[in-house]
Amino acid sequence: MALLEEPIKEVRAIKNFIGGEWVESKGEIKGVVNPATGKIIAMVPVSTRDEINEAVKAAQQAFPDWRRTPPVNRARYLFRLKELLEENFEEISRIQTQEHGKTIDESRGETRRGIENVEVACGIPTLMQGAFSEDISPSIDEWIIRQPLGVFGIIGPYNFPFMIPLWSAPYALTTGNCVVVKPSSEVPNSQARLAELIDEAGFPPGVFNVVHGGRTVVDGMLDHPDIVGITFVGSTPTAKLIYRRCGETGKRAIAQGGAKNFMVIMPDYNVPRTIPVLMTSFFGNAGQRCLSGANLVIVGENDGFYDSFMDGVANAARKMIVGNGLDESVQMGPVRDKEKKERIIGYIESGIEEGAKLRLDGRKDFKIVGDYPDTCFLGPTIFENVTPDMKIAREEIFGPVMSVLRVKNLDEAIELANSSSFANGHAIFTSNGKAAREFQYRVVSGNIGINIGIVAPMAFFPFSGMKDSFFGILHTQGQEAIRFFTESKVVIQRWL
Amino acid sequence: MSLHTTSEVISFVKQLEGKSANFYENLSQKHAADRDAFLSFAKENQKNVAQVERAYYSVITDALESCFAFDINPDEYTFEVPPLDNTSYSQALNKAINIEERIVKFYSDAAEQSDALMGDVPIAFKMVARKRKDRISKLKSLLEVSQ
Repeated sequence: MALLEEPIKEVRAIKNFIGGEWVESKGEIKGVVNPATGKIIAMVPVSTRDEINEAVKAAQQAFPDWRRTPPVNRARYLFRLKELLEENFEEISRIQTQEHGKTIDESRGETRRGIENVEVACGIPTLMQGAFSEDISPSIDEWIIRQPLGVFGIIGPYNFPFMIPLWSAPYALTTGNCVVVKPSSEVPNSQARLAELIDEAGFPPGVFNVVHGGRTVVDGMLDHPDIVGITFVGSTPTAKLIYRRCGETGKRAIAQGGAKNFMVIMPDYNVPRTIPVLMTSFFGNAGQRCLSGANLVIVGENDGFYDSFMDGVANAARKMIVGNGLDESVQMGPVRDKEKKERIIGYIESGIEEGAKLRLDGRKDFKIVGDYPDTCFLGPTIFENVTPDMKIAREEIFGPVMSVLRVKNLDEAIELANSSSFANGHAIFTSNGKAAREFQYRVVSGNIGINIGIVAPMAFFPFSGMKDSFFGILHTQGQEAIRFFTESKVVIQRWL
Repeated sequence: MSLHTTSEVISFVKQLEGKSANFYENLSQKHAADRDAFLSFAKENQKNVAQVERAYYSVITDALESCFAFDINPDEYTFEVPPLDNTSYSQALNKAINIEERIVKFYSDAAEQSDALMGDVPIAFKMVARKRKDRISKLKSLLEVSQ
């Protein structure tokens, strides 16, 4: 077992980044705990209303010059940032593991996904081009241009602390807007490091600001008249609230909420190939992923197939190596904190109470590799005989818990998936093209997987979502993000 | 203990490539006639590491499954590098062929195991395995000439 070196060796005092300056907050200071070791690795401020106002003011002041900076030059700042991100790739990845708990493989994947959004946004001179129609009427021309709007707020979640703000920020910046980012106060280190690199890349002061904190900062963004729009990723109740309040104040909003993803297994699929995919889908990132598998739906009445399939799944899950994500051998790290662990345990208890069969108990059927406190650790949990009305089949658990349901045929599986109030990333596993087509055609879900366990769109595709998983019209990433962060202006011209 | 995660497997790749590069560097010093061939093998080992790392770090996004992609027993592929002092040239070449066969088997097995999960890493592994098969042919030619 190789334990990689921790990048954060001493407790870091995290500051806000406002107007190009590192500013100490006057707010309360909280500890950031590494969930694997239980050690405090940083102190993060709970910033005040005045501090978010200062950041918005700095962004507003930077906006006129930044929007006049030609897109090709704005892109060059991002090219420099991309270089710095590559140079610091491993450090950024290890910071994520240290503050969040995910494995180093998962963190590297997250870093790469973040960088890919920077890369896509580097194409802004082309991406934000308008369109021109000559002679819409004799001697009259008409064209459309895309213009930035001002200052945007970006509110990040705890599960992907580095990547998710980058679903928005590169597009907002290259289209000529300025941003204020509020990272999750549970995992602020990777965004603090990103801000250092943005500073090093030479972005003009006030173009990119970071204000750490909680509800006060979010309320400050929602109430501020100079914030023109907000992107948010988090739970469904908060996403709904953000969307409603943005509507009330005329702000644009992208509000991504929770999920309950169905992984549908057709009896024709290749079992050995499916099992590792399911392990990562259900238990990767300790299940704290809005694209995680949650309900495993096995199609068909063949008990022999079901039994052998579930034996394979349970055996693989039982062998999973749980521990500190900086240990290269570890396949699943801890959940983010003790409260989240207790919440997940609450769901496990509810599954037992409602009569599901506990095939693998993640509360005790696992061993931690290495000498670490068990405060935030859980093993994988598998429930069989789950029925659609059970809480563990309906609600988002956001932890390493698999609920297994059986249906007679594909129609029932589709009906079951569509009965969920969430619609983020359902998937089918099959060798039958017709079944795959039926599934992708009829299932209501922002992202659909066909033999893919984590339906994570690349940076040049929108990160979609439907029903209670998404509130808004345009999405983060790619062309839709460009449209979200720009206003369409149409010009009609006639010269006499 | 088996290797399951891609991070572990990439570290193992570095070990294998580094160890075999050292072997060829030592061989190049002892057998000057084929020095260039052995040094080119050692240099190619560095390129192999770079190629595999590039596949892992640059295109990791389709490898979100990388914690569950492998079940590699490293003991099946590790090898001992004998001191070359009392080794004849043909013995050394036979050892080199043996090392290469083990490494080819490692890359081939690792590619097959991860093929269902990852896009680029197994392709890189297959490419390195092919290069090493060519190397085995070259080593066999050298062996024939030496006998």
